Amino acid sequence: MNKIVAMAAKDIHILFRDKLGFFFTIFFPLMMAIFFGAMFAGLSRGPASIPIVLVDADRTAGSARFVERLETAGGLAIERIPGDQALEQVRRGQTAVLVTLRPGFGAALDNPFVATPEVEMSVDPTQFAAAGMVRGVLLEAAGAELQAFMGDPSRMSATNEQNRRLIEQVTPPSTARDDLLTVLDQIPRIPALIDEAGLGSVTAGATGGFGPPLEIEQTQVQAQRRGPTNSYATSFAQAMLWTLIGGSVSFSMSIAIERSRGTLMRLLVAPITARQLLAAKGLACLGATLFTSSALITLGITVFDVTPTSYPLLALALLCGSICFCGIMMVLSVIGKTEQAAAGVGWGIALPFTMLGGGMVPLFLMPEWMQTLGNISPMKWTLMAYEGAIWRGFTLSEMLLPCAVLVAIGVVAFTLGARNLRWETG
Amino acid sequence: MLVFDHVSKCFGDLRAVDDLSFELEAGEVFGLLGPNGAGKTTAINMAVGLLEPDEGVVRFADEAFDRDPRDAENRRSLGLAPQSIALYEQISGADNLRFFGRLHGLRGSDLEERVAACLDFADLTDVGKKVVSKYSGGMQRRLNLAVAIIHDPELVLLDEPTVGVDPQSRNAIFERVEQLRDGGKQVVYTTHYMEEAQRLCDRVAILDRGRLMALDTVPALIEAHGGPGNLVVRTGDGESRHETTDPLGTLAELQARQAVDHFQYLPPDLETVFLNLTGRALRD
Repeated sequence: MNKIVAMAAKDIHILFRDKLGFFFTIFFPLMMAIFFGAMFAGLSRGPASIPIVLVDADRTAGSARFVERLETAGGLAIERIPGDQALEQVRRGQTAVLVTLRPGFGAALDNPFVATPEVEMSVDPTQFAAAGMVRGVLLEAAGAELQAFMGDPSRMSATNEQNRRLIEQVTPPSTARDDLLTVLDQIPRIPALIDEAGLGSVTAGATGGFGPPLEIEQTQVQAQRRGPTNSYATSFAQAMLWTLIGGSVSFSMSIAIERSRGTLMRLLVAPITARQLLAAKGLACLGATLFTSSALITLGITVFDVTPTSYPLLALALLCGSICFCGIMMVLSVIGKTEQAAAGVGWGIALPFTMLGGGMVPLFLMPEWMQTLGNISPMKWTLMAYEGAIWRGFTLSEMLLPCAVLVAIGVVAFTLGARNLRWETG
Repeated sequence: MLVFDHVSKCFGDLRAVDDLSFELEAGEVFGLLGPNGAGKTTAINMAVGLLEPDEGVVRFADEAFDRDPRDAENRRSLGLAPQSIALYEQISGADNLRFFGRLHGLRGSDLEERVAACLDFADLTDVGKKVVSKYSGGMQRRLNLAVAIIHDPELVLLDEPTVGVDPQSRNAIFERVEQLRDGGKQVVYTTHYMEEAQRLCDRVAILDRGRLMALDTVPALIEAHGGPGNLVVRTGDGESRHETTDPLGTLAELQARQAVDHFQYLPPDLETVFLNLTGRALRD
């Protein structure tokens, strides 16, 4: 037993002497705890506000009432802008969902016996989780509208009268027409009949048997402009991002490997300058990440029918993404002196940034400050550039922002890394 | 030629090299001999420009030039075989040579000729296309040495080139070093193995705690610092050891007193010199 305890104590001692092991044992879980804690704290204070754009194409009192109900219900941060701009906003990835209240929405809302109010949801294909929550909020609001209607005898009577006049105008009279008028006569009695039957608690919140209170047609934004949706278009953009992350972490180890294998000493003794050596490392990382991400999207195009909206912009996005991650590679090289340290630190940094960038957890689940913090994540900008060229249909001017951010991050990180790189050979 | 002129280097409180001065002579194998921590590798690193001296100057100079070790032209004229095997294990021996040859500016047929020559030098021609990870330790050591001379440098620095190899490989490395000397190269050879220095080096600098304790040819060092030899005799009373500078006289004296069954004279050697100069205390 003493021997087992001695060996276990030795392993624990070594673990805590190893800075990297200590980092992954204590600090990394702590970072995760803080990350998810902050996220769930935001959620526990109430539903996260999902930013949506709303277009009221109906422009009636009913549709206005519905929008007001949505705004006061919480859960949605509603921005009202003209239709074309709204769609562009979703396409650019700035908003998850566009909700359009179709013409006739208000009339249907005020007359649920005749029609169901229709809504169109244009969804960013990467934001299905957000779209699901928006759908829930819309249905809840429509249900509340219907309940309000059913609970207001004067509105029901007015609507009944209106419907009666419409039916009576149908000529010649028929049995069906008479039956409809008989049914209409019974409708005002429904609340009283529910009470008589003692079904008040059972039917509370129900829509009164009229079917779904809202008809929602959901489309993906690129489908409206570019033909059939291909889910691989979004998944390949994400896969290309992971290629960059993996490539930069692997290359960050290469300087540590050169150091530990002694080849760095040979390189430094050769008639080459440190700048040439750094340039070679950067070029290798750039070439490898460009090659792997290009190979991946080529596979997506040829096998999985992914159709980029612009090949030149895709090439630009690939280049800028690779430049960015070459810089990140250089910073990781500085932090990790040994192979294990470089790999550990690389993934230890990449994962939180990926989370902050929305690569693992939907951004709308995060509190606002975390979403703002996510703007410093190169993963966010890389995804935006890739998606912009693959399916969002970015124009050159729209592509400039993410590309400029990526190049800026790459250049600053590479310069910082190169300046602080330790050339010790052993 | 390589010149160390009152060179010192400190790491924090540790004075790794302390006022070291020497000049290499043309076509010689120059040994840097010292226990662990004597400053041999620090001296090598300063010679190749990986470290800068805190005091003094390291330069490559003769009548025609006077260069800093970091000078690119100078780097073309020196080759380093580091103490650890510094090779790319995932590629072949020939490709390692090619890569480092290109870094030194070799191209085309010149490069291929040098690769072939170096593989031959390291006796690795038959396995030149194999990846280095498949090589034995001895083969890797020989390739490590061959990479240092791919660009045919005038000065070759070998930092403990026989560490961890079997006697056959060690002997093969000795032969390669002798080949280099015969080919007119200057060689700086660091080691803490006395027999290597005694066999290979024309002159030996003995370092201890960063200081130069002695510098001369091996016979001159033995003459100056070797002290008396040891006469080991076996008689009916057992074996005894006698320090002497006159072994024949001492043997005659002993035989006069008692019959000597067996005797052996152990003359002073480099190890004696080394221990006399550096003491017998353990170095950590």
